[in-house]
Amino acid sequence: MSVLGSVIQWMADPAQWQGPDGIPTRLGEHLHLSIESVVIGAVIALPLGIALGHFGRFGNLAINVSNVGRAVPSFGILVIAFQAFGLGDGPIILALTALAIPPMVTNSYVALREVDPDVKDAARGMGYRELRQVLRIELPLAVPLIMAGVRTSAVQVVATATVAALVAGGGLGRYIVDGLARSDYPRLLAGALLVALLALATELLLAGVQRLLVPRGIRLKEAPVNRVITVKTA
Amino acid sequence: MNRRLSSGWLSAVVVIFAMAAVACGSTSSTGGSTSKGTVTVAGFNFPESSILAELYGQALQHDGYTANYKLNLGTRKVVAPALQSGQIDIYPGYAASELEYFNQGKGEATGDPAATTAKLNTYLQSINAVALTPSAAFDGNAYAVTSATAAKYNLKNLSDLTPIAGQLVFGAGPECPTYKFCLPGLKSVYGLNFKQTLTLDTDGPATRAAFKNGSIQVGLVFSSDADLKQLGLVVLVDDKNMIAADNIVPVVRQSIATDEVKRVLNNVDAHLTTADLVTMNGQVELLHQDADAVAQAYLQQHNFFA
Amino acid sequence: MASRVFLDIVDPWVNWGWLSTHVPYVLAAVQEHVTLTAIAVVAGFAISLPFGVVAHRWTRLRFPILTAFGIFYTIPSIAMFALLIPYTGLGGVTAEIPLIGYNVLVLVRNVMVGLDSVPAEVLDAADGMGYRPLARLFRIELPLALPAIFAGLRVATVSTIGIVTITAVIGLGGLGQLILRGLIESFHTPLVVATVLSIVLALVADLGLAGAQRFAVPWARPA
Repeated sequence: MSVLGSVIQWMADPAQWQGPDGIPTRLGEHLHLSIESVVIGAVIALPLGIALGHFGRFGNLAINVSNVGRAVPSFGILVIAFQAFGLGDGPIILALTALAIPPMVTNSYVALREVDPDVKDAARGMGYRELRQVLRIELPLAVPLIMAGVRTSAVQVVATATVAALVAGGGLGRYIVDGLARSDYPRLLAGALLVALLALATELLLAGVQRLLVPRGIRLKEAPVNRVITVKTA
Repeated sequence: MNRRLSSGWLSAVVVIFAMAAVACGSTSSTGGSTSKGTVTVAGFNFPESSILAELYGQALQHDGYTANYKLNLGTRKVVAPALQSGQIDIYPGYAASELEYFNQGKGEATGDPAATTAKLNTYLQSINAVALTPSAAFDGNAYAVTSATAAKYNLKNLSDLTPIAGQLVFGAGPECPTYKFCLPGLKSVYGLNFKQTLTLDTDGPATRAAFKNGSIQVGLVFSSDADLKQLGLVVLVDDKNMIAADNIVPVVRQSIATDEVKRVLNNVDAHLTTADLVTMNGQVELLHQDADAVAQAYLQQHNFFA
Repeated sequence: MASRVFLDIVDPWVNWGWLSTHVPYVLAAVQEHVTLTAIAVVAGFAISLPFGVVAHRWTRLRFPILTAFGIFYTIPSIAMFALLIPYTGLGGVTAEIPLIGYNVLVLVRNVMVGLDSVPAEVLDAADGMGYRPLARLFRIELPLALPAIFAGLRVATVSTIGIVTITAVIGLGGLGQLILRGLIESFHTPLVVATVLSIVLALVADLGLAGAQRFAVPWARPA
C-alpha cells in the first residue's frame, strides 16, 4: 500500500532520526512532558484518593473531582495556561496534569473503599496501627484498581500531549500539526503512528508494572477487577 | 434527589437531543428563493484573512448571494486543496504566495502584482479556478527583530543579519521551512543560516510570546500587522527584494466566477488599501471586535451598501 | 530586557461588555457543540449495541473487537481529523468519524460488561418462562444491563464534549472555535467563556444522564 509505504519511507530516512526535529528528540520531549505530568498528577491524586477512600469520608468530593475533571476540555486549559504563563513546557504540563488527576483520584478512592471490611477488622484485631494497616493491608489489595487509574491517566496523557504542538510545544504532536500545515501526509501519519505506538507501549509497560506490584495471592482477582473498572470510573 | 427532579433532568436531556436533531435537519443556512446562489467563502487561520473573507462574503450577500463562511480554516495547504475539491468557492489570496504555492515554488513571483497574478492564472486554469484583479492592498511576509536586538547589532536591513545569523534563533510557523519566501528564501537570497529554527505559529501568539521571553531573536510577522510598533518589533528592510507582490487577490472557483461575482469582488479590492488593512487588523487583533462587524463597518463607511 | 520593551496589553479574563453583546455568537457555538456531541454519542451507541451483544455472546470475538477499537482509541484526535480531510472534506463527517469511533470502544465494553453481569438464574428463569432468545435479550438482559450502559454513555458523552473542542482545527469545533479565536487573538474572554461553558455542558449532560438512569432503572440506584 502506497500510504503505508510513504510512512515507512519517511521513517526510514536518516534525516528523521537526528537534529531538533528528529524522532529521538521529539520522542524524548513527548516522554518528558508525559512522565512529568503523570508523576506530578500521581503525587497529588494518589494520596488524596487513598486518604478519602480509607476514611470513607467526602466520597462525593472524590467522585465530583473526577466528574468535573473529565469535563474540563484539555484544549481550553492548555490555551488558558499558555496565555497566563507564556511559552514553554510549564503550561503544557499544567494542562496534562489536570487531565491526569481525576482518574487516579477516583480509582484510588474506589480501590480503598472496595477493600473487604472483614479484612480491615481482622487487621485491627491483630493490632495494626492505622498507617500500617493502610500500607501493609489495604494498599496491596487496592493495587489493581489504583494501577488501572494510573494506566488510564498515563495513556490519556500520552495521547493528549499531541495538542502541545498547537501552542508551539514540542513532542510527537509536532509531526501531526506540521504535517497538516505543510500537507506532508507521511509526516502526519508517522506522527499519529508514533503516538499510537507510544500509548500502546505505555499501556503494556504499566500492565507489567501492575503484575509486579500485585501480591501473588490476589492476582487471580485481577481479571474481574479490571472489568469492573469500565463501570467504576464512569 | 427526588423523582420529580430526576424526570426534570430526563426531559432536559430529551430537549437537548431534540434540539440536536432539529439542528441536524437543517444542514446549512438557506437564503430563500430570492438568492442568486450560495457561495462558501473561506479564510486562513489569522484575523486578516477572516476580515477579507467577510468583506467578500458580505459584499456578495448585499448583491443577493447567500454566503457561507469557513473561517480560520488553516494554512494555505489546507485551504487551497479545499478550493480545488469544491468544498469552498472563494478565499482571499496573496498573489505571490498563491503563485508559489500552485507552481510548487518555482520562484516565478515578482514584485509586479499584475504580472504575478497573470502567471498565477495560468496555473489556476487547470484546477478550474481564477484569481481576480489584485488589490493595491499588500500584506507580505516580513521579518522582525525586537528593538533591543536591532540596537544591539545595529540592524536595519535583512542583509545585516547575514554575518550574525549563526548566533540567532529564528521562529516562524510550521509551513515556513518549505515555503519559498520564508526559510528557503532567507537562505538562498540572504545566506541566512540561523543557529536554530523554532516552529511556532504564523505570526500568532506563540511568535509574540517567543519574542517576549527571548527564545527567538528573529521572527516572521506580516507587514500589515497593527501591533508591531506597540510590541517593540522592528521590521527589517527587504533590501534584496526577496519578498514578492503579496497583494490581496480573491481566488475563485470558475463555476461561480460569473461577471457579476467578479464585478462585486473587484470593486471591494479596488477600494482596499494597505492602510485599511492595518486599521481593520488593529480593530480585530487589539480591540477584539468581530471580523464580521469590522468588515460590515468598512463596507458601510465606503458606501458599498448604498 | 524584553518585558520592558513589550507593552503588556491588560486584557481581563472576562470582558463582560463583550460577552453581553455576543450572546447569539456564543449560543450558536453551544448549539454546534451539542449537535456534534449528540450525533457522536447516539451513532456511537447505535453501533456499539450490536458489537457489545456479539462480544457478550461469542467470547472468542471479544478480543478482536476490543483490540480493533482499542487501537483506534490510541490514535490522537487531531491526527484523525487531519487524515480524514482529503477523503471526507471539511464538514461534519470528518469530525464525527473519530468521535463516533472513540465512543464505540467505551460503549461496546460497557454493553458487554452489563450483559455479562446478568445473573445466570435470571436467564434460566426467563428461559423457563418461554422467552425466545431475541425477546430475552430485549426484555430481560438489556434492561438489566442498563446501569453499565448508562455508565458508559456518561463517560462517552462527557469525553466527547471535551474532544469536540479540538475539531476547531478543521473549522468546526463549536466552543472550540471560541478557544481557537482566544488563542489567535490573545483574547481571554472567548477562551474562558468557552472553557467554562464546555465544563458546564459536560456536567449538565452527565447529571441529565444520571437522572435519566434513575428514571429508567429505578431498581438500581447508583451509589
